[in-house]
Amino acid sequence: MVLDIFLGILQIVLFPGIVFCIGLTFLLEWIDRKYYADLQNRMGPLYVGWRGILQPFADFIKLMAKEDITPKAADRKMFTATPLFSVVVPLLALLFIPIANITGVLSFQGDLIFILFLTTIVAILIILAGYSSMNRYSSIGAARAGLQLMGYEIPLTLAALTPAMIARSLTITEIVQYQAVAGMSILLFPSMIAFGVFIITLLPELEKIPMDIPEAETELVAGWQTEFSGKKYAFFRLSNNLELLLGAGLAVTLFLGGPYGIEKLPGLTALDLVIQGNIVLSTVWYTVWFLIKTAIVVLVITNLRALFSRYRIDQMVRGAWRYLTPLMIGVTAITMLLSAVAPGLYPVV
Amino acid sequence: MSKLVDWARRSSPWLLHFNSGSCNGCDIEILAALMPRFDLERFGALLKGSPRHADVLVCTGPVTRQQAPRLRRIYEQMPEPKFVMVVGTCGSTGGVFRGCYNNAEGIDNVIPVDVYVPGCPARPEAIALGAVKLLEKLKNAQKQARGEK
Repeated sequence: MVLDIFLGILQIVLFPGIVFCIGLTFLLEWIDRKYYADLQNRMGPLYVGWRGILQPFADFIKLMAKEDITPKAADRKMFTATPLFSVVVPLLALLFIPIANITGVLSFQGDLIFILFLTTIVAILIILAGYSSMNRYSSIGAARAGLQLMGYEIPLTLAALTPAMIARSLTITEIVQYQAVAGMSILLFPSMIAFGVFIITLLPELEKIPMDIPEAETELVAGWQTEFSGKKYAFFRLSNNLELLLGAGLAVTLFLGGPYGIEKLPGLTALDLVIQGNIVLSTVWYTVWFLIKTAIVVLVITNLRALFSRYRIDQMVRGAWRYLTPLMIGVTAITMLLSAVAPGLYPVV
Repeated sequence: MSKLVDWARRSSPWLLHFNSGSCNGCDIEILAALMPRFDLERFGALLKGSPRHADVLVCTGPVTRQQAPRLRRIYEQMPEPKFVMVVGTCGSTGGVFRGCYNNAEGIDNVIPVDVYVPGCPARPEAIALGAVKLLEKLKNAQKQARGEK
């Protein structure tokens, strides 16, 4: 009993939990920056650790040690609370993502809905952070963040629910297990469209370049982050990286088969049995496959970041409402229709 | 712990670019120093939009009378520890505008400066060298503060 509690705490704090996730976000930011620099024919971070691998860590430490300014006009409580909450909320959501095992650290019936709710909470925290700093640029950035949320929220949710409808379950563990039997849901018919929409709607969620309208540097200084310095800014950067990990992890979990690797291919059943028999081996195996798949999703996002230039806010919202939302409603309808008309298409597990 | 913080400060100097009445020549060269061939991101430098996020204020221009209070305000908005790097002859001494009635003849008459990069305009290599010099200076200052040689 005591051992169980101890192991549970260890899981939440250390391995697939907080410390591991934060380390992983630093790794992903490094991959993102290096690849982005490579696409622009630059070197990227080079001298801090092996090929600059410690650069995000150094940035974080430096920001933590810098002076922390609270403007006189700012709403002090909100200004202090939002950075903390914006780190805690994605960390909580990450505990539901299966990283080192086929279930997350936490899991319950219908936790997919809960995670989607938490991603919305992060966006609302951003709006609060922008308004609480009482800066003109921050206010405009926050207003734009709110407008963006109106645009991408519905397609994002519908895209995340498509694999859930195919698997006939709202529980992340069951969706992952369904994909182990029926194959990655990105290979199933309407789900691949949903994957594309999911990646596109992740960009405004993460405020990456074609959709980084709320923090548009050329217009708004730094958008809603303008007044945050030192520790608070470090927390916001960490929060953004955690969201990147959460978004990529969610894409992996819902569309790319979760932590399962090649062992679920036909003809490799022996390998599967060996992996499932040994708990240490399975932990390492699943973590490595999760890392590979997450890195692939992050590279796709980085590619989009390097390819496109920023949209205007009206273009983004109009695009989301005119194209993405009707498309996703159509995909949802087709999925429901197909699972009703052709039950053989999505096998019941 | 303080060693770790010192290392982090040396490793990620984030820049804020401010034009205090320059002819834009030096500003273009600063952008060139951030672009592929010279790429200051090797040293961890990122160009930031907000003074609250930056560590190094990269200034150009002789500071016109109208820009002086704004330059001071931007400098005061930056969180400690902060450094100032001046790019170009105008920023260092006033350059061709020395003796004019409408400028402060150099950034250092308005705010404290750590590194000067002369040149009209300063070459991107010189700017990169200036950044490295700034980091070296910082390293020496940190060593002195810890009482090492």
